[in-house]
Amino acid sequence: MNDGSDRHDEPAGPARVFSLDEVETRPRRRSKGAVLRTVVLATWAVFCIAPVLWFLSIGLRPRTEIITPQPIYWPTFSLDAWHMIWNDWPMAAYLRNSVLAIIGSVVIDLVLAIPAAYSLSRYTYRGRDDIGFYILSTRMMAPAIVAVPIFFLFRNMGLLDSIWALMLVYAAINLSLVTWIIRSYMLDLPREIEDAARTDGASDLAILMLIIVPMCLPGIITAAVIAAIFAINEFLFTLLIASTQGAYTLSVALANFTGGSDGIIYNAIALVAFIAFVPVFIVVVLMQKHLSRGLTMGAVKG
Amino acid sequence: MISSPLDGGAPDVAETTFRRRRRPLWRRKLFPYLLVAPAVIYLLGITLYPGIYAIYQSFFYVRFDDWTFAGLGNYRELFADRDFWQAMWNTLVIGGCALVIEFVLALGLAVLAYRDPFIRGWRILFLVPMLFMPSAVSFIWKLAFNDARVISDLLMGIGLIDGPIDFLGNVAMARLSLIVTDVWQWTPFLFIIFVAALQGQDPEIEEAARLDGASWARLFWNVSLPIMKPIIAVALILRAIDITTMFTSVFIMTGGTPGGATETISYFIYRIGFKTFNFGYASAASFVMLVLTILVAQLFVKKFFISGREE
Repeated sequence: MNDGSDRHDEPAGPARVFSLDEVETRPRRRSKGAVLRTVVLATWAVFCIAPVLWFLSIGLRPRTEIITPQPIYWPTFSLDAWHMIWNDWPMAAYLRNSVLAIIGSVVIDLVLAIPAAYSLSRYTYRGRDDIGFYILSTRMMAPAIVAVPIFFLFRNMGLLDSIWALMLVYAAINLSLVTWIIRSYMLDLPREIEDAARTDGASDLAILMLIIVPMCLPGIITAAVIAAIFAINEFLFTLLIASTQGAYTLSVALANFTGGSDGIIYNAIALVAFIAFVPVFIVVVLMQKHLSRGLTMGAVKG
Repeated sequence: MISSPLDGGAPDVAETTFRRRRRPLWRRKLFPYLLVAPAVIYLLGITLYPGIYAIYQSFFYVRFDDWTFAGLGNYRELFADRDFWQAMWNTLVIGGCALVIEFVLALGLAVLAYRDPFIRGWRILFLVPMLFMPSAVSFIWKLAFNDARVISDLLMGIGLIDGPIDFLGNVAMARLSLIVTDVWQWTPFLFIIFVAALQGQDPEIEEAARLDGASWARLFWNVSLPIMKPIIAVALILRAIDITTMFTSVFIMTGGTPGGATETISYFIYRIGFKTFNFGYASAASFVMLVLTILVAQLFVKKFFISGREE
């Protein structure tokens, strides 16, 4: 309906007030700008999507057509890689490790973060801002900085090559993020309901669990989803901790489809990449509205 | 129930507590600390413990389980180590370039897209690269740049270059391939944040400015940009943190080649620690980076995340 408009002028976005006189006063500039804008955006979209489609085609072609003197853009269709990852590789174990480590880490995060976020958003006490900042600042630590000591820590605990170690590490990586996202949503809640419950004699814990948690469920889900995505992506720690299929996740398993006499097995890598991508994509499309707020740890109220 | 005299004025926690069964003061004082304590203890375990461990270990020459006291030996060696300084420099160059390109592209695209009637569609398309695992993205571009030579082939197809480029053999090209990979995957991150910020501004202010005859460029410069500043700062800080810790793409795509020209500081620590097993030395490097991180955190992050956003 609004597709004649552009940025020079005005309201066009879906959620905008559409004012009629704008359309009438500047019709020509509007359409020219719109074409230009669409071309620019479409160019970027092609840059985003083309490599993905090409990579999908890599996953669906035989190995002989991947690394060739002249790149092949229209390969023959083949499910070799699909059979390979399920029959020759312990894909089921990789998937299981990923899913368990991610779910475990998100549960740990929520258990720790919800009370922490409540404390940071609802109480005034000495040192609160410093504690909040400390939690935030752990987000800035380069994984490599703690890699060596964490490796020794888990080695001494006998947790190397175990998904328990992965859970603990993923939870630690995401805890600051999860706490800050939930805190931001809690700050938005009106205090009246809590205060009413409090006057009725409800305990602080009951208020948290029965009133606050249900009310900021969107924030909690956003935090959980973003934590899960970062956990799927995690590479360095998993590389150090995992050494067999007992703990390899999808992310690090990819780097395993290499080496040996066969070189890098790109078609299998491509399919595994898409296996991890599809669920993430679906979830993100469903929670699009909350994504920017989650990614900025609550700083943008999108 | 008799209504409290404070009910009218949005009473705070301390004031309402006197209405109910009184709990000892110390318990009420302690309660918020108890709520936040588990998270803090957990994080201390995973940051403070490793920090102290790294400091301790950095004073030793460590070969597997054989520790020999080294004093400041590791640090002296580190500050004289050309690889270390080169890794710092590489991280700055690669990260800096990627960050600037991502910022310019994301802001430009966001300004173009946020009023577009199809913004939801654009946003989903633009998001796609971000939703692949970084390790997968690294393989996409490793294949495209090097192994399948698709990039060279395409550039030759449109006549920009005459022969295939060796993206791994050339310092500038190897760095460029890492930058392109990062830009491709993470421009969407900044894009969706900027779009949200632009959509969040008050349409009436824009309307008013526009009715006063302001051009879209002036409107953007004088109205939108000042409003977006804090959000831009937060987004750039988050992106800068992740860029300076760049590891996965280096590990998969270049391994630091050619001649260490793409070795980032994270990869440097990894290589020293887990390829040469020189743990004491790696710990010294870790500790130096930790100090730098804390300094940067105090300078930038505190300002933008904490100030101005409290109730």
